[in-house]
Amino acid sequence: MADAPCPFSEVDGPPLHAQCRLRVGFGDGTVGFLERARAGDLSAYEGLVAEHRDAVYGLALRFTRSEADAAEVTQEVFLRAWRALAELPTEERFGAWVRRVAANQSLSRLRHRKVASQVEVPPQGPEFTERGTLIDEVPDGARDAEGLSLDAELGRAIELASDALPEAHRQVFLLKDVDGLSYEEISEITGESVPAIKSRLHRARLAMRAAIDRFYRDGDNI
Amino acid sequence: MPVDSCKDAIELLLGYLDGELGPDVVSKLEQHFGGCAPCEEFLKAYRATPQLCKKALAAKMPQAMADSLTGFLRGALKKS
Repeated sequence: MADAPCPFSEVDGPPLHAQCRLRVGFGDGTVGFLERARAGDLSAYEGLVAEHRDAVYGLALRFTRSEADAAEVTQEVFLRAWRALAELPTEERFGAWVRRVAANQSLSRLRHRKVASQVEVPPQGPEFTERGTLIDEVPDGARDAEGLSLDAELGRAIELASDALPEAHRQVFLLKDVDGLSYEEISEITGESVPAIKSRLHRARLAMRAAIDRFYRDGDNI
Repeated sequence: MPVDSCKDAIELLLGYLDGELGPDVVSKLEQHFGGCAPCEEFLKAYRATPQLCKKALAAKMPQAMADSLTGFLRGALKKS
């Protein structure tokens, strides 16, 4: 007969079930960073931070466009995460939590930053005839979309295209397509409705797609 | 919801990929893709865009900054 349910057991609770160990990310039988960190092991927490720091730093850097701000956001996030470990029973939850807090912190910094207002160009998508027929075809170089390899020039073109998006579109695109947050999480962070977020995401994806196609059609003239 | 043109079809791509459209609309949309090679190519390209952008925009924390983060956390957490 099975033991009492473990629900990822607390630090001083009963051992975790084998199937739960798989979910918390140490299915090889060793005790994972998260469980050890939750027991107060600082070196295990450093291991956990090492696994997630690039995701947090990358998110903060893309948002704030400042290495110094991104470094500070990363410090703050992992300091707060240590205090919240008891509420984060799996590495998946831990990863989602740190990304969400990083997004909130980064947006908060952006709101407080005095930036000269820039004229924003509406995102450009594909072109159509008057009857709604697609004019722009996917260029030959970009035809095998799933198999496209990323080189430095294409990477730079994507970065420039992302920077050229209107800020609200850019934020939604980054949070959803690059950082993997859910529509609901993005809604909570930005204060926008889910339909508005979806609309912006669609426009942003069309603009990014158009930029990638232009890269293949015209070189790097994005 | 009409799917009378490429423009209509492309407007529905996000809902289509998110699985949020009703079966009637999905059927009309797939019928359009089946008869419109440019739109079919566009669908594949649109679907692949997030993954490509994710790879392009990934950032790695520089090692010196990572070391500094470790030092900061050691100091702050030992105090707490």
